[in-house]
Amino acid sequence: MYKNKITPYLFIIPALVFIFIFVYIPIIENFYFSFFRMNSYAPGRTFLGLDNYKDIFQNDIFYTAIINNTWYAVISLIFQVGLGLVLAITLESKLLGKERKFFRTIYFLPSVIAIAAVGLMFYYIYNPNLGLLNAVISLFTENEFKYAWLGRPNTAIFAVIAMSQWQFTGYIMILLIVSIQKIPEELYEVAEIDGASSFQKAIYVTIPQIKQMILVTSVITVIGAFKLFTEIFVTTRGGPYDTTQVLGTFMYKTAFFYDKMGYAAAIAVIIFIITFTTSIIQIRLANRGGD
Amino acid sequence: MSRKLVTLSIVLAMLLVMSFSLTIGAQEVTLKFLHRWTQEPDSTFFEEVVANYEEQNPNINIDMEVVSNDPFKEKIKIILGTENAPDVFFTWPGEFTNRFIRAGQVMDLTSYMEDGWGDTLIDSVVEPFRYEGKVYGAPYRLDAKVFVYNTKIFEEVGVEEPETFDEFLTVLEKIDNAGYIPIAFGNMFPWAVSHYMGQLNAYCVPYDVYMEDLDPAVGDFAHPGYLMALEKYEQLTPYFNASSNAIRHDEARISLFNGEAAMMYLEIIEIPTIEQQAPEEFRNNYDVFVMPKIEGAEGDQSALIGYPEGFVISANTEHPEEAVAFLKYLTGKEVGQKEAQDLLFVNGVKNVVSKGEIPDSVYNTTQLVLETERLVNWFDSSLHAEIWSVAGSELQKLTDGVATPEEVLEEIRAAAEDVRAQF
Repeated sequence: MYKNKITPYLFIIPALVFIFIFVYIPIIENFYFSFFRMNSYAPGRTFLGLDNYKDIFQNDIFYTAIINNTWYAVISLIFQVGLGLVLAITLESKLLGKERKFFRTIYFLPSVIAIAAVGLMFYYIYNPNLGLLNAVISLFTENEFKYAWLGRPNTAIFAVIAMSQWQFTGYIMILLIVSIQKIPEELYEVAEIDGASSFQKAIYVTIPQIKQMILVTSVITVIGAFKLFTEIFVTTRGGPYDTTQVLGTFMYKTAFFYDKMGYAAAIAVIIFIITFTTSIIQIRLANRGGD
Repeated sequence: MSRKLVTLSIVLAMLLVMSFSLTIGAQEVTLKFLHRWTQEPDSTFFEEVVANYEEQNPNINIDMEVVSNDPFKEKIKIILGTENAPDVFFTWPGEFTNRFIRAGQVMDLTSYMEDGWGDTLIDSVVEPFRYEGKVYGAPYRLDAKVFVYNTKIFEEVGVEEPETFDEFLTVLEKIDNAGYIPIAFGNMFPWAVSHYMGQLNAYCVPYDVYMEDLDPAVGDFAHPGYLMALEKYEQLTPYFNASSNAIRHDEARISLFNGEAAMMYLEIIEIPTIEQQAPEEFRNNYDVFVMPKIEGAEGDQSALIGYPEGFVISANTEHPEEAVAFLKYLTGKEVGQKEAQDLLFVNGVKNVVSKGEIPDSVYNTTQLVLETERLVNWFDSSLHAEIWSVAGSELQKLTDGVATPEEVLEEIRAAAEDVRAQF
């Protein structure tokens, strides 16, 4: 195809070099740093062996973070992917006519707002004294409702997770809609002839046809759950007393507040292992389902 | 021929301009200056101060960068480790600065201080910038923490400024029963509780013991006074507004200004905010008192929490003499007088302002600081970062009643033990 056999490589090499320098080398360097005690302003580092990892596994906050990330992943799969799928199927069905474009926009719009802006907005919605949520609830209660959604360990992390579902369900929905639109109309006609109801069409035609996209959105949702940072940082900063820490914010706090760069590097290695493994597992599971 | 002549003259002109600008560049010194005031009126104040200095010193160019409070605490650590480290930068004295000193990042100013500079400054305000006998910084503004209270509420409830801690608890109970929030408190960022603990520790623990415990290499927090301090703090927690860990400090302050809360533990550098932003109703009806003394406690009952803030110079600066000159200006009389007029802050220069030149509330609280024999540091700035990481979290739990004073102290002592092992 190419006159010169080298030509295709010439196109690929610049990008490869770029990825190598800015992705792979830092990952390897980070792995190296995880065996040291070091901080950003003092020269020199102390070799610790596996001590950073030992300390992490003995730290309660690490387990709190993993649990929070896992909650985020599970709830996001249910809402963003699950509800996103239901919305996508509904919006693409014959139930709606011209209104579908309006609903598509409404659901998608939150995902284009910067996460930091959404975080700030919800910080005020959840505010115990001035917040919109408590104001609405107060309409139905006898006394003024002043619950601190982000200030109580029981609800704080779920309040932040809810905020993310509001923001990104529409985004996943759009990705699924795009896939649904590619399904050949004939498949539905055949199902119609066989006497399938709308529900049966969704289960037996739509979902199998967009299986790949459902997998992709599940993978990005789960990886996103373990890479979580901004949402927590802007609302609770990991508080109250580290109950809403996730791996990302825990790593950040350790690196930049507690001067423990090596420890933070070890957390980063763990995040990498988790997200990498999760992706491999998900892809394998999907492939086993057959094509 | 003429075309060649035109080209030649253009090239010659460019070379002339380049060499001219190069010579100017060679004489001009650029100092990188980093501070933390992104908001008005402080940001304009610094712009004017810097512009004024550049006018007085044409060969100096100040490259100013501003990063707000909490991001500043992170950025300074990163930037000090790079080639872009600022020449002159803001700092909180105590362990916050001491760790940079230990890493060789801060310039020793002792010789300059002993050369006459120190004579213009108030000793007790320079003292916080001393580490292992040497002076490393200069003060920009004094500070202290006091209870600012609504005199109308106090009058209505029938209470007076408490002298002792037990009297204080009685006052708080009466205010609570009258339906007001006794103490407004926003502890989302736990520096707020560290201000309470710094003062209570100073009251409960003998000074020498406390100072030794703050040294990360040896501190073990074994003295029973620490438990007493935590218990005293616990006694105050029922009188805070609800959800104090979910509210920011400045949000909580709103309830003080609008008359919902009777008092709040504030820094005297917040008094200008009261003068400029609080409703008239509050502005005309407030007064202050220091944390009431604790009877039977072993610490220094005359100690007042309130370390100054200031500026230091990078040890790696390429222009030490110019940086020192700029720092002297920044913390000197000329800027001090402008600071007092524009911002209502008082710096460390002797007799920088007289009574009448600034509002009485600012003057009187400044005198409070100057008359105190012993200033103690905020607990968070005093502690090693790893110990504070645990303490801040535990103190938030204590505030919510989720941990006991014993549990909190145990965690702090465990963290201190881990840190000691590193030295």
